[in-house]
Amino acid sequence: MSDAEAHAYDADMRRANRRKAVDGRSVIFKIKRCDGPGKPSRWESFKVPVEEGANVISSLKWIAANPVTTEGSKTTPVVWDSGCLEEVCGACTMVINGRVRQSCSCLIDEYAPLEGDVITLEPMSKFPVIRDLWVDRDRLFSALTRVKAWVPIDGTYNMGAGPKESPEHQQMRYALSECMSCGCCLEACPQYTKVEDEEKWDTSFVGAHAISQARLFNEHGTGKQLKGERYDALSGPGGVSDCGNAQNCVKVCPKGIPLTESIGAVGRGTTIHAIKQFFQGKK
Amino acid sequence: MSNPDGPMQKHHFLLRRLHSLTGILPIGVFLIMHLTTNSTIAWGGLNGRAHGDGWLDRAIATFQHEVSFINETPLLLLIEITLWASIAFHSILGVIYAVSGNMNNGSYKYGGNTRYMLQRVTGYVGILFIFYHIATLRWGWTWLVPGGVKWSHENAASTLAAALQGSTEQFTEWGLVVAIFYFVGVTMLVFHFANGLWTAAITWGFTISRSAQKRWGYACAALGAGLMVMAWASVVGFATLDYDQAREVEEAMKSGHEPVPQMTDDHTETATAEHSNIDG
Repeated sequence: MSDAEAHAYDADMRRANRRKAVDGRSVIFKIKRCDGPGKPSRWESFKVPVEEGANVISSLKWIAANPVTTEGSKTTPVVWDSGCLEEVCGACTMVINGRVRQSCSCLIDEYAPLEGDVITLEPMSKFPVIRDLWVDRDRLFSALTRVKAWVPIDGTYNMGAGPKESPEHQQMRYALSECMSCGCCLEACPQYTKVEDEEKWDTSFVGAHAISQARLFNEHGTGKQLKGERYDALSGPGGVSDCGNAQNCVKVCPKGIPLTESIGAVGRGTTIHAIKQFFQGKK
Repeated sequence: MSNPDGPMQKHHFLLRRLHSLTGILPIGVFLIMHLTTNSTIAWGGLNGRAHGDGWLDRAIATFQHEVSFINETPLLLLIEITLWASIAFHSILGVIYAVSGNMNNGSYKYGGNTRYMLQRVTGYVGILFIFYHIATLRWGWTWLVPGGVKWSHENAASTLAAALQGSTEQFTEWGLVVAIFYFVGVTMLVFHFANGLWTAAITWGFTISRSAQKRWGYACAALGAGLMVMAWASVVGFATLDYDQAREVEEAMKSGHEPVPQMTDDHTETATAEHSNIDG
Protein backbone atom coordinates (compact mmCIF):
# COMPACT_ATOMS: atom_id res chain seq x y z
CA MET A 1 0.00 0.00 0.00
CA SER A 2 1.45 3.36 -1.00
CA ASP A 3 1.48 6.25 1.44
CA ALA A 4 -1.25 8.07 -0.43
CA GLU A 5 -3.42 4.95 -0.31
CA ALA A 6 -2.71 4.48 3.39
CA HIS A 7 -3.83 8.06 3.94
CA ALA A 8 -6.99 7.59 1.90
CA TYR A 9 -7.66 4.34 3.69
CA ASP A 10 -7.45 6.12 7.02
CA ALA A 11 -9.84 8.82 5.85
CA ASP A 12 -12.21 6.22 4.33
CA MET A 13 -12.14 4.20 7.52
CA ARG A 14 -12.96 7.23 9.61
CA ARG A 15 -15.83 8.18 7.28
CA ALA A 16 -17.16 4.61 7.41
CA ASN A 17 -16.95 4.65 11.21
CA ARG A 18 -18.95 7.87 11.30
CA ARG A 19 -21.73 6.23 9.30
CA LYS A 20 -22.02 3.24 11.62
CA ALA A 21 -21.77 5.27 14.86
CA VAL A 22 -24.39 4.09 17.37
CA ASP A 23 -26.50 6.70 19.19
CA GLY A 24 -26.54 6.70 22.98
CA ARG A 25 -23.45 4.52 23.36
CA SER A 26 -20.66 4.75 25.90
CA VAL A 27 -16.98 4.37 24.99
CA ILE A 28 -13.91 3.64 27.09
CA PHE A 29 -11.07 6.14 27.38
CA LYS A 30 -7.82 4.47 28.37
CA ILE A 31 -5.58 7.28 29.54
CA LYS A 32 -1.89 7.27 30.42
CA ARG A 33 -1.63 9.35 33.58
CA CYS A 34 1.27 10.94 35.43
CA ASP A 35 1.06 13.11 38.55
CA GLY A 36 4.00 15.35 37.71
CA PRO A 37 7.50 15.66 36.23
CA GLY A 38 9.60 12.62 37.10
CA LYS A 39 6.66 10.74 38.62
CA PRO A 40 5.80 7.25 37.37
CA SER A 41 2.95 6.86 34.88
CA ARG A 42 -0.07 4.61 35.18
CA TRP A 43 -3.11 3.69 33.05
CA GLU A 44 -6.67 4.56 34.06
CA SER A 45 -9.86 3.85 32.13
CA PHE A 46 -13.06 5.87 32.07
CA LYS A 47 -16.47 5.03 30.63
CA VAL A 48 -17.85 8.09 28.87
CA PRO A 49 -21.36 8.52 27.35
CA VAL A 50 -21.01 9.90 23.82
CA GLU A 51 -23.00 13.00 22.92
CA GLU A 52 -23.68 14.02 19.36
CA GLY A 53 -20.57 15.52 17.77
CA ALA A 54 -18.40 14.65 20.78
CA ASN A 55 -14.65 14.97 20.43
CA VAL A 56 -11.75 14.02 22.69
CA ILE A 57 -11.72 17.40 24.49
CA SER A 58 -15.46 17.33 25.24
CA SER A 59 -15.00 13.78 26.55
CA LEU A 60 -12.09 14.90 28.73
CA LYS A 61 -14.36 17.63 30.11
CA TRP A 62 -16.94 14.97 31.00
CA ILE A 63 -14.20 12.95 32.76
CA ALA A 64 -13.11 16.08 34.67
CA ALA A 65 -16.66 16.43 35.95
CA ASN A 66 -16.96 12.68 36.73
CA PRO A 67 -13.47 11.48 37.67
CA VAL A 68 -14.40 7.86 38.42
CA THR A 69 -12.54 4.99 36.75
CA THR A 70 -14.19 1.92 35.20
CA GLU A 71 -13.30 0.04 38.42
CA GLY A 72 -15.47 2.53 40.31
CA SER A 73 -12.67 4.24 42.23
CA LYS A 74 -12.64 8.02 42.48
CA THR A 75 -9.55 9.66 41.05
CA THR A 76 -8.24 13.12 40.19
CA PRO A 77 -9.52 14.85 37.04
CA VAL A 78 -7.33 14.22 33.99
CA VAL A 79 -5.26 17.27 33.05
CA TRP A 80 -4.79 18.34 29.42
CA ASP A 81 -3.70 21.42 27.50
CA SER A 82 -5.83 23.16 24.91
CA GLY A 83 -6.50 26.57 23.44
CA CYS A 84 -8.38 27.36 20.26
CA LEU A 85 -10.42 24.14 19.93
CA GLU A 86 -10.35 24.52 16.13
CA GLU A 87 -7.00 22.94 15.19
CA VAL A 88 -5.02 26.13 14.73
CA CYS A 89 -3.13 26.56 18.02
CA GLY A 90 -1.55 23.12 18.42
CA ALA A 91 -1.79 23.07 22.22
CA CYS A 92 -4.03 19.99 22.52
CA THR A 93 -1.71 17.70 20.52
CA MET A 94 -1.52 14.21 22.03
CA VAL A 95 -1.07 10.58 21.01
CA ILE A 96 -4.47 9.06 20.19
CA ASN A 97 -4.62 5.32 19.47
CA GLY A 98 -0.85 5.33 19.09
CA ARG A 99 -0.65 8.20 16.61
CA VAL A 100 -0.10 11.88 17.18
CA ARG A 101 -2.79 14.45 16.31
CA GLN A 102 -4.86 17.28 17.74
CA SER A 103 -7.45 16.07 20.23
CA CYS A 104 -9.92 18.93 19.62
CA SER A 105 -10.55 17.85 16.02
CA CYS A 106 -10.63 14.15 16.91
CA LEU A 107 -14.27 13.06 16.64
CA ILE A 108 -15.38 10.13 18.79
CA ASP A 109 -17.70 8.88 16.01
CA GLU A 110 -14.67 8.38 13.75
CA TYR A 111 -12.56 6.55 16.33
CA ALA A 112 -15.06 4.62 18.48
CA PRO A 113 -18.35 4.06 16.62
CA LEU A 114 -19.64 1.13 18.69
CA GLU A 115 -20.60 0.58 22.32
CA GLY A 116 -17.53 -0.14 24.46
CA ASP A 117 -14.94 0.82 21.81
CA VAL A 118 -11.68 1.97 23.34
CA ILE A 119 -9.80 5.21 22.65
CA THR A 120 -6.25 5.38 24.03
CA LEU A 121 -4.85 8.77 25.04
CA GLU A 122 -1.18 9.35 25.82
CA PRO A 123 0.90 12.51 26.18
CA MET A 124 3.44 13.17 23.43
CA SER A 125 6.53 11.09 24.20
CA LYS A 126 9.18 13.53 22.95
CA PHE A 127 8.47 16.27 25.51
CA PRO A 128 8.58 16.24 29.33
CA VAL A 129 5.18 15.60 30.90
CA ILE A 130 3.91 18.33 33.19
CA ARG A 131 0.87 16.34 34.21
CA ASP A 132 -1.23 13.61 32.55
CA LEU A 133 -1.72 14.67 28.89
CA TRP A 134 -0.12 18.09 29.32
CA VAL A 135 3.48 18.36 28.08
CA ASP A 136 6.11 21.08 28.09
CA ARG A 137 6.89 22.04 24.47
CA ASP A 138 9.62 24.56 25.33
CA ARG A 139 12.25 22.78 23.25
CA LEU A 140 10.06 23.17 20.16
CA PHE A 141 10.00 26.96 20.62
CA SER A 142 13.68 27.16 21.52
CA ALA A 143 14.41 25.51 18.15
CA LEU A 144 12.64 28.43 16.44
CA THR A 145 14.94 30.84 18.31
CA ARG A 146 17.92 28.70 17.31
CA VAL A 147 17.17 29.12 13.59
CA LYS A 148 16.14 32.79 13.99
CA ALA A 149 12.64 32.18 12.65
CA TRP A 150 11.71 35.82 12.37
CA VAL A 151 12.06 38.91 10.17
CA PRO A 152 14.65 41.37 11.51
CA ILE A 153 12.76 44.68 11.45
CA ASP A 154 13.66 46.15 14.85
CA GLY A 155 15.91 49.17 14.39
CA THR A 156 16.29 52.89 14.86
CA TYR A 157 15.02 53.99 11.46
CA ASN A 158 12.27 53.18 8.98
CA MET A 159 13.44 50.49 6.54
CA GLY A 160 10.83 51.42 3.98
CA ALA A 161 8.56 49.12 2.00
CA GLY A 162 9.62 45.51 1.53
CA PRO A 163 10.51 43.98 -1.85
CA LYS A 164 7.79 42.95 -4.31
CA GLU A 165 6.31 39.49 -3.96
CA SER A 166 4.93 37.37 -6.84
CA PRO A 167 1.65 35.52 -6.25
CA GLU A 168 3.38 32.16 -6.92
CA HIS A 169 6.09 32.84 -4.37
CA GLN A 170 3.53 34.12 -1.91
CA GLN A 171 1.54 30.88 -2.28
CA MET A 172 4.64 28.78 -1.68
CA ARG A 173 5.41 30.72 1.49
CA TYR A 174 1.78 30.66 2.62
CA ALA A 175 1.89 26.86 2.81
CA LEU A 176 4.93 27.06 5.07
CA SER A 177 3.41 29.84 7.20
CA GLU A 178 0.55 27.57 8.28
CA CYS A 179 2.78 25.84 10.87
CA MET A 180 1.19 26.09 14.33
CA SER A 181 4.14 24.59 16.26
CA CYS A 182 1.98 21.69 17.45
CA GLY A 183 4.80 19.11 17.56
CA CYS A 184 3.20 16.34 15.43
CA CYS A 185 6.22 16.23 13.09
CA LEU A 186 8.57 15.86 16.07
CA GLU A 187 6.51 13.20 17.84
CA ALA A 188 6.41 11.03 14.69
CA CYS A 189 10.10 11.56 13.82
CA PRO A 190 12.35 8.59 14.66
CA GLN A 191 15.36 10.91 14.67
CA TYR A 192 13.86 13.40 17.17
CA THR A 193 14.33 11.91 20.60
CA LYS A 194 13.36 13.17 24.04
CA VAL A 195 16.04 15.41 25.56
CA GLU A 196 15.37 16.45 29.17
CA ASP A 197 18.61 18.40 29.66
CA GLU A 198 18.04 21.96 28.38
CA GLU A 199 21.80 22.44 27.94
CA LYS A 200 21.73 19.85 25.17
CA TRP A 201 18.82 21.32 23.22
CA ASP A 202 21.07 23.44 21.02
CA THR A 203 23.03 20.42 19.79
CA SER A 204 20.10 17.98 19.55
CA PHE A 205 18.09 17.51 16.35
CA VAL A 206 16.25 20.73 15.63
CA GLY A 207 13.24 19.06 13.97
CA ALA A 208 11.23 19.45 10.76
CA HIS A 209 9.14 22.41 11.96
CA ALA A 210 12.20 24.63 12.61
CA ILE A 211 13.87 23.61 9.33
CA SER A 212 10.69 24.55 7.48
CA GLN A 213 10.36 27.86 9.36
CA ALA A 214 13.98 28.69 8.54
CA ARG A 215 13.10 28.16 4.89
CA LEU A 216 9.98 30.35 5.24
CA PHE A 217 12.02 33.27 6.60
CA ASN A 218 14.90 32.68 4.15
CA GLU A 219 12.31 33.15 1.40
CA HIS A 220 11.06 36.41 2.93
CA GLY A 221 12.33 39.57 1.24
CA THR A 222 13.60 41.09 4.46
CA GLY A 223 13.95 37.89 6.47
CA LYS A 224 16.63 36.59 4.12
CA GLN A 225 19.11 39.00 5.69
CA LEU A 226 19.61 36.34 8.36
CA LYS A 227 20.01 33.50 5.84
CA GLY A 228 23.69 32.94 6.61
CA GLU A 229 23.09 32.79 10.36
CA ARG A 230 20.23 30.34 9.86
CA TYR A 231 22.42 28.10 7.71
CA ASP A 232 25.20 28.32 10.29
CA ALA A 233 22.79 27.04 12.93
CA LEU A 234 21.38 24.37 10.62
CA SER A 235 24.85 23.12 9.59
CA GLY A 236 25.85 22.51 13.19
CA PRO A 237 25.23 19.51 15.41
CA GLY A 238 21.53 18.66 15.43
CA GLY A 239 21.00 20.61 12.21
CA VAL A 240 19.33 19.56 8.97
CA SER A 241 21.92 16.84 8.27
CA ASP A 242 20.69 14.89 11.32
CA CYS A 243 17.50 14.17 9.35
CA GLY A 244 17.21 10.45 8.60
CA ASN A 245 14.68 10.87 5.75
CA ALA A 246 11.99 8.68 7.28
CA GLN A 247 9.56 11.40 6.09
CA ASN A 248 6.98 10.70 8.80
CA CYS A 249 6.83 14.46 9.49
CA VAL A 250 5.09 15.30 6.24
CA LYS A 251 2.64 12.40 6.69
CA VAL A 252 1.43 13.46 10.14
CA CYS A 253 1.46 17.25 9.64
CA PRO A 254 -2.17 18.36 10.25
CA LYS A 255 -1.62 21.39 8.00
CA GLY A 256 -0.14 19.41 5.09
CA ILE A 257 3.01 21.54 5.08
CA PRO A 258 5.59 20.21 2.56
CA LEU A 259 8.14 19.60 5.33
CA THR A 260 10.28 17.18 3.30
CA GLU A 261 10.57 19.76 0.52
CA SER A 262 11.78 22.24 3.12
CA ILE A 263 14.35 19.70 4.32
CA GLY A 264 15.58 19.27 0.73
CA ALA A 265 15.68 23.04 0.18
CA VAL A 266 17.59 23.69 3.42
CA GLY A 267 19.88 20.75 2.55
CA ARG A 268 20.69 22.52 -0.72
CA GLY A 269 21.11 25.84 1.10
CA THR A 270 23.57 24.41 3.63
CA THR A 271 25.52 22.61 0.88
CA ILE A 272 25.97 25.88 -1.06
CA HIS A 273 26.64 27.78 2.18
CA ALA A 274 29.42 25.31 3.09
CA ILE A 275 31.00 25.48 -0.39
CA LYS A 276 30.96 29.31 -0.25
CA GLN A 277 32.53 29.26 3.18
CA PHE A 278 35.20 26.82 2.00
CA PHE A 279 36.31 29.11 -0.80
CA GLN A 280 35.56 32.53 0.67
CA GLY A 281 36.05 31.97 4.38
CA LYS A 282 33.52 32.80 7.07
CA LYS A 283 31.93 36.21 6.87
CA MET B 1 30.19 12.60 21.31
CA SER B 2 28.04 14.89 23.43
CA ASN B 3 31.10 17.02 24.20
CA PRO B 4 30.20 20.32 22.47
CA ASP B 5 33.88 21.04 21.67
CA GLY B 6 34.66 17.51 20.49
CA PRO B 7 35.70 16.83 16.90
CA MET B 8 32.40 15.09 16.15
CA GLN B 9 30.53 18.31 16.98
CA LYS B 10 33.05 20.77 15.60
CA HIS B 11 33.21 19.11 12.18
CA HIS B 12 29.64 17.88 12.31
CA PHE B 13 28.57 19.07 8.87
CA LEU B 14 31.75 17.94 7.11
CA LEU B 15 31.57 14.47 8.69
CA ARG B 16 27.90 14.08 7.77
CA ARG B 17 28.56 15.05 4.17
CA LEU B 18 31.65 12.82 3.96
CA HIS B 19 29.59 9.97 5.36
CA SER B 20 27.08 10.53 2.58
CA LEU B 21 29.80 10.95 -0.08
CA THR B 22 31.84 7.86 0.84
CA GLY B 23 28.68 5.75 0.47
CA ILE B 24 28.60 6.73 -3.21
CA LEU B 25 32.28 7.34 -3.93
CA PRO B 26 34.19 5.09 -3.60
CA ILE B 27 31.96 2.43 -1.98
CA GLY B 28 28.91 2.59 -4.26
CA VAL B 29 30.94 2.88 -7.45
CA PHE B 30 33.08 -0.03 -6.33
CA LEU B 31 29.94 -2.06 -5.60
CA ILE B 32 28.78 -1.56 -9.19
CA MET B 33 32.17 -2.64 -10.57
CA HIS B 34 32.42 -5.57 -8.16
CA LEU B 35 28.98 -6.90 -9.08
CA THR B 36 29.70 -6.42 -12.78
CA THR B 37 32.83 -8.55 -12.47
CA ASN B 38 31.23 -11.22 -10.31
CA SER B 39 28.10 -11.56 -12.41
CA THR B 40 30.24 -12.60 -15.40
CA ILE B 41 29.66 -16.11 -14.04
CA ALA B 42 26.09 -15.65 -15.31
CA TRP B 43 26.63 -13.74 -18.56
CA GLY B 44 30.31 -14.35 -19.35
CA GLY B 45 29.22 -17.03 -21.81
CA LEU B 46 28.42 -14.14 -24.16
CA ASN B 47 32.14 -13.51 -24.40
CA GLY B 48 33.09 -15.21 -27.67
CA ARG B 49 36.79 -14.52 -27.08
CA ALA B 50 36.86 -16.48 -23.84
CA HIS B 51 38.50 -19.88 -23.59
CA GLY B 52 36.14 -22.84 -23.66
CA ASP B 53 33.41 -24.34 -25.76
CA GLY B 54 30.40 -24.30 -23.48
CA TRP B 55 28.56 -21.29 -22.11
CA LEU B 56 29.66 -22.00 -18.54
CA ASP B 57 33.29 -22.64 -19.52
CA ARG B 58 33.42 -19.25 -21.22
CA ALA B 59 31.83 -17.66 -18.14
CA ILE B 60 34.44 -19.23 -15.85
CA ALA B 61 37.20 -18.09 -18.18
CA THR B 62 35.80 -14.54 -18.43
CA PHE B 63 35.59 -14.27 -14.65
CA GLN B 64 39.16 -15.57 -14.29
CA HIS B 65 40.31 -13.13 -16.95
CA GLU B 66 38.65 -10.21 -15.12
CA VAL B 67 40.15 -11.23 -11.76
CA SER B 68 43.62 -11.54 -13.27
CA PHE B 69 43.17 -8.14 -14.92
CA ILE B 70 42.24 -6.54 -11.56
CA ASN B 71 45.21 -8.22 -9.91
CA GLU B 72 47.52 -6.59 -12.42
CA THR B 73 46.31 -3.10 -11.50
CA PRO B 74 49.25 -0.98 -10.38
CA LEU B 75 49.17 0.09 -6.72
CA LEU B 76 46.26 -2.27 -6.10
CA LEU B 77 46.96 -2.38 -2.37
CA LEU B 78 46.64 1.41 -2.21
CA ILE B 79 43.24 1.23 -3.90
CA GLU B 80 42.21 -1.53 -1.52
CA ILE B 81 43.31 0.40 1.56
CA THR B 82 41.36 3.45 0.35
CA LEU B 83 38.30 1.24 0.02
CA TRP B 84 38.73 -0.43 3.39
CA ALA B 85 39.26 2.94 5.08
CA SER B 86 36.16 4.36 3.38
CA ILE B 87 34.07 1.35 4.42
CA ALA B 88 35.34 1.60 8.01
CA PHE B 89 34.61 5.35 8.09
CA HIS B 90 31.13 4.92 6.60
CA SER B 91 30.40 2.01 8.98
CA ILE B 92 31.57 3.63 12.21
CA LEU B 93 29.83 6.95 11.55
CA GLY B 94 26.78 5.09 10.22
CA VAL B 95 26.39 3.16 13.46
CA ILE B 96 26.88 6.32 15.55
CA TYR B 97 24.20 8.12 13.51
CA ALA B 98 21.86 5.12 13.46
CA VAL B 99 21.84 4.61 17.22
CA SER B 100 21.00 8.30 17.70
CA GLY B 101 17.45 7.60 16.47
CA ASN B 102 14.56 5.59 17.86
CA MET B 103 12.57 3.57 15.34
CA ASN B 104 8.78 3.83 15.61
CA ASN B 105 7.60 1.60 12.77
CA GLY B 106 4.89 0.03 14.93
CA SER B 107 2.95 3.30 15.18
CA TYR B 108 3.80 4.92 11.86
CA LYS B 109 3.60 2.37 9.06
CA TYR B 110 4.63 4.59 6.17
CA GLY B 111 6.82 3.45 3.28
CA GLY B 112 9.44 6.08 4.09
CA ASN B 113 9.56 4.97 7.70
CA THR B 114 10.02 1.35 6.62
CA ARG B 115 12.92 2.38 4.39
CA TYR B 116 14.42 4.35 7.31
CA MET B 117 14.33 1.17 9.40
CA LEU B 118 15.64 -1.03 6.57
CA GLN B 119 18.49 1.39 5.85
CA ARG B 120 19.74 0.90 9.42
CA VAL B 121 19.16 -2.85 9.61
CA THR B 122 20.82 -3.45 6.23
CA GLY B 123 23.70 -1.27 7.42
CA TYR B 124 24.28 -3.36 10.55
CA VAL B 125 24.05 -6.69 8.69
CA GLY B 126 26.05 -5.23 5.80
CA ILE B 127 28.98 -4.41 8.10
CA LEU B 128 29.06 -8.01 9.36
CA PHE B 129 28.79 -9.36 5.85
CA ILE B 130 31.51 -7.14 4.36
CA PHE B 131 33.83 -7.97 7.25
CA TYR B 132 33.29 -11.71 6.78
CA HIS B 133 33.64 -11.35 3.01
CA ILE B 134 36.94 -9.43 3.14
CA ALA B 135 38.37 -11.42 6.06
CA THR B 136 37.79 -14.79 4.44
CA LEU B 137 38.32 -14.13 0.74
CA ARG B 138 40.88 -11.34 0.84
CA TRP B 139 42.78 -11.65 4.11
CA GLY B 140 42.68 -15.45 4.03
CA TRP B 141 41.11 -16.14 7.42
CA THR B 142 40.39 -19.69 6.35
CA TRP B 143 39.35 -20.74 9.87
CA LEU B 144 36.13 -18.83 9.16
CA VAL B 145 35.51 -20.74 5.93
CA PRO B 146 33.70 -24.09 6.19
CA GLY B 147 35.97 -26.61 4.51
CA GLY B 148 38.89 -24.23 5.01
CA VAL B 149 39.37 -23.42 1.31
CA LYS B 150 41.60 -20.43 0.69
CA TRP B 151 40.47 -18.18 -2.13
CA SER B 152 43.11 -17.66 -4.79
CA HIS B 153 43.02 -15.13 -7.62
CA GLU B 154 44.74 -17.70 -9.79
CA ASN B 155 41.83 -20.09 -9.40
CA ALA B 156 39.21 -17.44 -8.86
CA ALA B 157 36.01 -19.26 -9.81
CA SER B 158 36.80 -22.71 -8.40
CA THR B 159 38.04 -21.56 -4.99
CA LEU B 160 35.15 -19.12 -4.68
CA ALA B 161 32.68 -21.90 -5.45
CA ALA B 162 34.33 -24.07 -2.79
CA ALA B 163 34.22 -21.25 -0.23
CA LEU B 164 30.50 -20.77 -0.84
CA GLN B 165 29.69 -24.49 -0.88
CA GLY B 166 31.76 -25.53 2.13
CA SER B 167 33.91 -28.06 0.26
CA THR B 168 35.39 -28.86 -3.14
CA GLU B 169 33.15 -31.91 -3.46
CA GLN B 170 29.56 -31.08 -2.65
CA PHE B 171 27.38 -28.64 -0.75
CA THR B 172 27.83 -29.02 3.01
CA GLU B 173 25.40 -27.76 5.66
CA TRP B 174 27.78 -24.98 6.71
CA GLY B 175 28.37 -24.21 3.07
CA LEU B 176 24.65 -23.63 2.70
CA VAL B 177 24.75 -21.25 5.67
CA VAL B 178 27.57 -19.28 4.01
CA ALA B 179 25.77 -19.22 0.66
CA ILE B 180 22.55 -17.99 2.28
CA PHE B 181 24.51 -15.39 4.24
CA TYR B 182 25.99 -14.19 0.97
CA PHE B 183 22.57 -14.03 -0.66
CA VAL B 184 21.11 -12.05 2.25
CA GLY B 185 24.24 -9.90 2.53
CA VAL B 186 24.36 -8.78 -1.09
CA THR B 187 20.59 -8.23 -1.17
CA MET B 188 20.81 -5.95 1.85
CA LEU B 189 23.82 -4.05 0.54
CA VAL B 190 22.23 -3.41 -2.84
CA PHE B 191 19.12 -2.07 -1.09
CA HIS B 192 21.30 0.03 1.21
CA PHE B 193 23.10 1.55 -1.76
CA ALA B 194 19.98 2.26 -3.83
CA ASN B 195 18.06 3.73 -0.90
CA GLY B 196 21.14 5.66 0.25
CA LEU B 197 21.45 7.16 -3.22
CA TRP B 198 17.83 8.30 -2.95
CA THR B 199 18.22 9.93 0.47
CA ALA B 200 21.62 11.42 -0.43
CA ALA B 201 19.89 13.47 -3.13
CA ILE B 202 17.67 15.04 -0.45
CA THR B 203 20.56 15.48 1.98
CA TRP B 204 22.69 17.36 -0.55
CA GLY B 205 19.68 19.24 -1.88
CA PHE B 206 19.53 17.83 -5.42
CA THR B 207 15.90 16.79 -5.07
CA ILE B 208 13.60 19.27 -3.35
CA SER B 209 10.07 19.00 -4.75
CA ARG B 210 8.01 15.92 -4.05
CA SER B 211 7.85 15.09 -7.76
CA ALA B 212 11.64 15.37 -8.09
CA GLN B 213 12.08 13.04 -5.13
CA LYS B 214 9.66 10.63 -6.75
CA ARG B 215 11.41 10.70 -10.13
CA TRP B 216 14.82 10.16 -8.54
CA GLY B 217 13.23 7.38 -6.50
CA TYR B 218 12.27 5.54 -9.69
CA ALA B 219 15.80 6.01 -11.04
CA CYS B 220 17.32 4.61 -7.84
CA ALA B 221 14.85 1.73 -7.82
CA ALA B 222 15.76 0.88 -11.42
CA LEU B 223 19.48 0.96 -10.61
CA GLY B 224 18.82 -1.11 -7.48
CA ALA B 225 16.80 -3.68 -9.43
CA GLY B 226 19.56 -4.01 -12.02
CA LEU B 227 22.24 -4.43 -9.35
CA MET B 228 20.02 -6.87 -7.47
CA VAL B 229 19.76 -9.12 -10.54
CA MET B 230 23.55 -8.99 -10.90
CA ALA B 231 24.08 -9.70 -7.21
CA TRP B 232 21.70 -12.66 -7.14
CA ALA B 233 23.14 -14.03 -10.39
CA SER B 234 26.64 -13.86 -8.89
CA VAL B 235 25.75 -15.67 -5.66
CA VAL B 236 23.59 -18.30 -7.31
CA GLY B 237 26.13 -18.72 -10.10
CA PHE B 238 29.05 -19.47 -7.78
CA ALA B 239 27.02 -21.40 -5.21
CA THR B 240 25.96 -23.83 -7.94
CA LEU B 241 29.27 -23.92 -9.83
CA ASP B 242 31.04 -27.28 -10.12
CA TYR B 243 34.52 -27.04 -8.56
CA ASP B 244 36.15 -29.55 -10.90
CA GLN B 245 34.76 -27.97 -14.05
CA ALA B 246 35.96 -24.52 -12.98
CA ARG B 247 39.36 -25.92 -12.03
CA GLU B 248 39.72 -27.55 -15.44
CA VAL B 249 39.04 -24.29 -17.29
CA GLU B 250 41.44 -22.37 -15.03
CA GLU B 251 44.24 -24.92 -15.48
CA ALA B 252 43.71 -24.93 -19.22
CA MET B 253 44.00 -21.12 -19.25
CA LYS B 254 47.21 -21.29 -17.21
CA SER B 255 48.82 -23.81 -19.57
CA GLY B 256 48.99 -21.26 -22.35
CA HIS B 257 45.64 -21.22 -24.09
CA GLU B 258 45.20 -17.64 -23.01
CA PRO B 259 44.80 -15.24 -24.63
CA VAL B 260 42.65 -16.91 -27.22
CA PRO B 261 43.56 -15.95 -30.81
CA GLN B 262 41.59 -12.95 -31.96
CA MET B 263 41.96 -13.23 -35.71
CA THR B 264 41.04 -16.25 -37.76
CA ASP B 265 42.86 -15.65 -41.07
CA ASP B 266 44.96 -18.43 -42.45
CA HIS B 267 48.24 -17.05 -41.22
CA THR B 268 47.39 -16.89 -37.52
CA GLU B 269 45.49 -20.14 -37.63
CA THR B 270 48.62 -21.86 -38.80
CA ALA B 271 50.67 -20.10 -36.19
CA THR B 272 48.31 -21.21 -33.43
CA ALA B 273 48.32 -24.73 -34.72
CA GLU B 274 52.08 -24.81 -34.65
CA HIS B 275 52.08 -23.35 -31.18
CA SER B 276 49.70 -26.03 -30.00
CA ASN B 277 51.90 -28.67 -31.49
CA ILE B 278 54.88 -27.44 -29.59
CA ASP B 279 52.79 -27.42 -26.41
CA GLY B 280 51.59 -30.92 -27.04
